[in-house]
Amino acid sequence: MEVLLFILPVFFALSVLIIPKQGVRAYGIIGSLAVLVVVIACMMQYNNDGTMHLFMQKPWFYGITLSFGYDGISLLMLLLTAVLVPLILVSNFKNELAENRLFTSMVFFMQLGLIGVFISMDGLWFYVFWEITLIPIFLISWWFGAPERKAALTKFFIYTFVGSLAMLAALIGIKVNAPTFFIEDLKAVVFTGKTACWLALGFFLAFAIKIPVFPFHTWQPDTYTKSPMAGTMLLSGIMLKMALYGMIRWMLPLFPEAIHCLQYPVIILATIGVVYAAIIAVKQKDIKRVFAFASMSHVGLIAAAIMTCNFDALSGSMVQILNHGLVAVGLFLAVEIIERRTGTRNLDELGGFAKQAPKFAFWFAALAFASVSVPLTSGFIGEFLMLKGLVGFDMVVGIVAGTTLILGAVYTFRAYQLSMYGPVTRDHFADLHWSELIVLALIIIAVVIFGVYPAAITDFVNPSIKVVLETLSTPSGL
Amino acid sequence: MSVSQLLPLIVLLPLIGAFINGTLGKNLSKTIVGTIATGVMLVSFILATMAFMGVQHGKPVTAHLFTMIQTESFSLHARLYADNLSMWMTMIVTGVGTLIHLFSMGYMKHDAGYYKFFVYLNLFIFAMLVLVLGSNYFMLFFGWEGVGICSYLLIGFWYQDFKNTLAARKAFIMNRIGDLGLLIGLFLILGKFGTLEYAEVAKAVMAKGFEISECLIFGITICLFIGATGKSAQIPLFTWLPDAMAGPTPVSALIHAATMVTAGIFLTVRSSYLFEHAELTKEIMLYIGLATSIVAAFIAMRQNDIKKVLAYSTVSQLGMLFVALGMGAYTAAMFHVTTHAFFKALLFLGSGSVIHAMSDEQDIRKMGGLRKKIPITHFTFLIGTLAISGIPLLSGFYSKDEIIGHAFESHKFVYFALMFSSALTAIYMFRLYFVTFFGTFRGTHEQEHHVHEGPASMTLPLIILAVLSVFGGLLNLPGVFLHNGTHWLSHHYAQNVDGLMTPVEHGDPNTTLMLMVAAGAMAVIIAIVTYIVYVKKNSVPVADEQLKGWEKASAMKLYFDEIYDFLFVKPTLWLSEKGAHYFEGAFLHRSVVGLGKTIGKSGDLIRKIQTGRTDNYILWMVFGIIGLIVYYIIYYKN
Repeated sequence: MEVLLFILPVFFALSVLIIPKQGVRAYGIIGSLAVLVVVIACMMQYNNDGTMHLFMQKPWFYGITLSFGYDGISLLMLLLTAVLVPLILVSNFKNELAENRLFTSMVFFMQLGLIGVFISMDGLWFYVFWEITLIPIFLISWWFGAPERKAALTKFFIYTFVGSLAMLAALIGIKVNAPTFFIEDLKAVVFTGKTACWLALGFFLAFAIKIPVFPFHTWQPDTYTKSPMAGTMLLSGIMLKMALYGMIRWMLPLFPEAIHCLQYPVIILATIGVVYAAIIAVKQKDIKRVFAFASMSHVGLIAAAIMTCNFDALSGSMVQILNHGLVAVGLFLAVEIIERRTGTRNLDELGGFAKQAPKFAFWFAALAFASVSVPLTSGFIGEFLMLKGLVGFDMVVGIVAGTTLILGAVYTFRAYQLSMYGPVTRDHFADLHWSELIVLALIIIAVVIFGVYPAAITDFVNPSIKVVLETLSTPSGL
Repeated sequence: MSVSQLLPLIVLLPLIGAFINGTLGKNLSKTIVGTIATGVMLVSFILATMAFMGVQHGKPVTAHLFTMIQTESFSLHARLYADNLSMWMTMIVTGVGTLIHLFSMGYMKHDAGYYKFFVYLNLFIFAMLVLVLGSNYFMLFFGWEGVGICSYLLIGFWYQDFKNTLAARKAFIMNRIGDLGLLIGLFLILGKFGTLEYAEVAKAVMAKGFEISECLIFGITICLFIGATGKSAQIPLFTWLPDAMAGPTPVSALIHAATMVTAGIFLTVRSSYLFEHAELTKEIMLYIGLATSIVAAFIAMRQNDIKKVLAYSTVSQLGMLFVALGMGAYTAAMFHVTTHAFFKALLFLGSGSVIHAMSDEQDIRKMGGLRKKIPITHFTFLIGTLAISGIPLLSGFYSKDEIIGHAFESHKFVYFALMFSSALTAIYMFRLYFVTFFGTFRGTHEQEHHVHEGPASMTLPLIILAVLSVFGGLLNLPGVFLHNGTHWLSHHYAQNVDGLMTPVEHGDPNTTLMLMVAAGAMAVIIAIVTYIVYVKKNSVPVADEQLKGWEKASAMKLYFDEIYDFLFVKPTLWLSEKGAHYFEGAFLHRSVVGLGKTIGKSGDLIRKIQTGRTDNYILWMVFGIIGLIVYYIIYYKN
C-alpha cells in the first residue's frame, strides 16, 4: 500500500495533463485527497513505538539501496504534506492558475518529491528527492510568478543548488567508509571530531539555505514575494520543513560527534535570525514581505530548538513544524485575498476592510493570533516546549529567542491593523469566497484542536524522537 | 452535584454563551443576545456560589479534565482547582461580571457590533475563569494570555478610529513583555520542581528541609513579578492601562478595573509560598508598588477625561496592592482587591452612565451640575467616591486601612508615603466628583436637552454595586470594636489556601484605632477642602496649555509615553528601517552578489590560462614536472 505514496502523485501529475480544462480544478483536489487517504491509512497501521517501519529495503547497485520507510516523525511530515497540498489547491481555486494543467501537474510532482524526501531511508535517495523538489517549485514560480521574478528565482536556484552540492559532497564523504547509503549503515560510520564537523557542515549548509538560517536567507523574501501564491505556500509551508526534517533525521544522527562544534554556532545564528527577521518585518511595507520575514523568524526558532537536542524542544519543534505549515499557508492566502481584490500589497494603500468583509476580518484575526502563538493554538504549545528547551540550554539564548513573543505581536498586528482597520480605502471589498473560507476555517480549527489537545501530536512523535535522541547519546552512533 | 463536577460547568458556560452568540448572534435580536450572555453569567455565578459553599470548610478540590502534554520530564494537565482563594476570585469575576453584562445591555444598545461585544465579553470571562481556576501555572498562563487577547479585542472594539486600535496594540505588546517574564518564570519553576501544579509546588516548598539557592528563588519570583507588572499595570509597564480606556466603558469596568488587572495580585497571592522565600523580590515589589501608587495618583490630579482619572486611580490602587504584597500582607491585599472590584466597577459604570447621559462626552470640564439630572448615577457615584477616598465606615476605608496599618507596623516610611498617596486619591476623586456633578452645566444646549438617566438595566447594577461598596468592609473587619466576626476573610483563606494558613495576627487595638482616626480625619478634611474649592468657589479646571509647573507635568502624564517612545519605539523602528535598507538590502545582498561575481571572475581567470598556444602549454608542463620533482625530493628526504 505504501507504494501508492509514489504511484498516486506520479499518476495524477501525468494524467492531469490530458484532462479537459474545466475538470482540472476538481481533479487536482480529488488527487490530493487520495494521497491524504493513503497517508492516513499509513498512520493508522503504524504501531507508534518509535521504530522505523521499512516497507521496502533491498540492495540496488553501487551501494545504493532501495530503502523506504517511516517512523512517527516521517509520518507527521507526510501528513503535513498531504494536508497542505489539497489546502493549497483549494486556496488557489479562484485563480485562473487552478485551471492550468501544467501547474497542477507541477504541484503533484512537488508532492512526489516531498513524500520521497520524507520516506527515503537511503542517503542518496534522500538527496535525489531533495533535488527533485527544486524543479517543480522553480518552474511554478518561473512560469507563473510575478513579472519581475527572474533575477530573484535565479538567485534562489543557485543558492539552493550550492547548498545541495555541499550535502552531496558530505554524503559521498561518509559513504567512502560505509558499505551502502542505507541510513543505519551510515550511522554506523564513526568519525573523529574534525571530520565529523566538516561533513556535518556540508549537510548544514544545504539545510541552512533552505530553512533559511541567518545569514543564508537573502533569497527568501524576494522569492516568496515574486512567486505565485501556491508557490509561496509550498515553499514556506512544506519545502523548508524538509530541511528541519533533514536536521533531525540525517544531520544529527549521522554526526553525533559534530554536535559539540556545531551546536553553539548554529543556535546562535538561528537565534540571531529569529530576532533579526522579526525586527526587519516591523517596518516592511509589502504585507507579503512582512509574513516572509515572519516565517523566517519562526523557523529560525525551530532550527535553534532542534539543535539543543533536548527532548522537549524537539517535541515542540515537531508541533511547531505542523503549526507553522498550516499558519503560513493561511497567512499567505490572506495576503492573496487582499491582493486579488485590491491589486496591491502595499500596507500604505490598504485599510478598513474589516467593516466590508467581517468574515475575512474574523478569520484573518484568528490567523494573526495563531501566528503570534497565543494559548489555545498549537503554536503556543510548540513555542512553549521549544523555549523551555532553549532556556534550559542557555538562559540568555532562551530570553533573546523569547523576544519573538513580543516582536511577533508587533509586526503581525501592525500588518493586520493597517490592512483591516482604520478608514475605508476601497469602495468595494468582497467578503470570503467559499473556497477561501474553507481553507481558513480548516486551518484555524486544526490549529485550535492541536492547541487544546497537543498530545495528539506529541504522543505520536515522541517515541520516534526518543529513538533519535538515543542515537545521539551513544558516542559510536549506533 | 459535587464541586468537581461544578467547576467545568462554571468555566464552560461563558464559553458556550460566546459560541452561541458568535455563531447565531448576528441574526438574533439584541434583547436575546444580551439575555443569553447575561444569563450564562448568572448561572455561572450561581454555580460558583454553590461550589464556594461546598469547598469552604473542606479540602481543596481538583477536577481533572485531560492531559495536554506528556513528555519524559514533566506533564501538563488541564485541571481545575478550587480552594477558598480561587473560589473567592471566581465569585468576584462571575458576580461583578454578571452585573457588568447587565449594564452593557443598556449601555451598548445602539451599537452596531452589539452581539460581537457580548461574544468578547463572555470570552473574556471564560479566559479569566481559566486563569483563576486552573490548577497549575500552565493553565494560569492560558488564561493570562487569553484575557490579554480579549482585552485587545475590546480596547480596539471601535476599530474605525485607528487611535483605538493603536491603544489595543500597545496594551497587547506591553502585556506580552510581561508574559515573556512570566513564561521564563514558568520554565524555572518547571526546572526546579518538575511540575507546574500549585499544590505540588506548594508541598515541595513548605516541606521541612526545603532548600533553594537564593539566586534561583529570586529568578523565579522576579519573573513572576515581571509578568504581574504587565498585567497589573505597574511601573514600568503601566502606560497601556490609561490608553485602554479607548474601549467601551463596561470593558473598562470589568477588565481594566475589577478583574483582569488584579490577575497579577492573584498570581502573587497564589505563589505566596514562593515569595516568602524571596525577601529581595518582596522589597522590589514593595517599592515598585509604592512608586506606581504615587506616580499614578499624581498624574490623576490634573486629568480631565473622566475615564482617564479613574484609570490612573486604578493604577494607583494596584500599586498600593503590591505594597501590601511586598509586606507579606496577602489577605489584606485580597480584601482590597475585593472592595476595589466593587467600588471601582461602580465608579466606572457610573462614569459610563454619565457618558451615556452626556451623549459620549468624556471631558469633565464640559459637564457640571449633573447632580439633579441623573440622581441615581449621582448618588451611586458619590458612594463610590466616598469608598475609594477612605471615608470611614465604607468598604474602602477598612481595606485600605488594613494595608496602611501593616505599613505602620513594619515600614514607617512606607506608611507616610501611603498616606500621601491616599490623600492624593481623595483629592482627585472629590475633584472629579464635584466638577462633574456640582456647579453649572457647561455642555452644549443639545447635550443639556438630552441628559437622561439610563434604563433599569443600567441603574440596577449601579445600585447593587453601591450597596456592596458600602458594606463590603464587613468581610474583614478589624478587631477593634468587636471580638467575634472580625477578620472573616483571613480566617476563610486560612482554612485551605496553601501559604496563607498562618494564624491571623491582631494588631494592637489602640494603634489600629489611632490609625483609623487619622486616616478617616484626613479623608474628611480633604472632602471639605475640595468642596470649598470646586463648589463654593466654583472653579473649573483650565485648559492644559495654561498649566504650569507640577500641574503641567501631571496633565502631561509625566511624559512617560514620550520617554518610552524615545527609548524603545523609535530605536526599534530605526533598526528595522535601517536594517532592511543597509544590512539586508545593501550589505548581505551585495556580498552574495559579490560572491557570485567572484566565482564568475575566477572562471574568467582560469579561462585565460587556456590560451590555445602550444608553447604556453609546454611551459606549464615544464613547471608541473619541476614541481613534481621538488615535491618528490622533499617528501622522500624527510
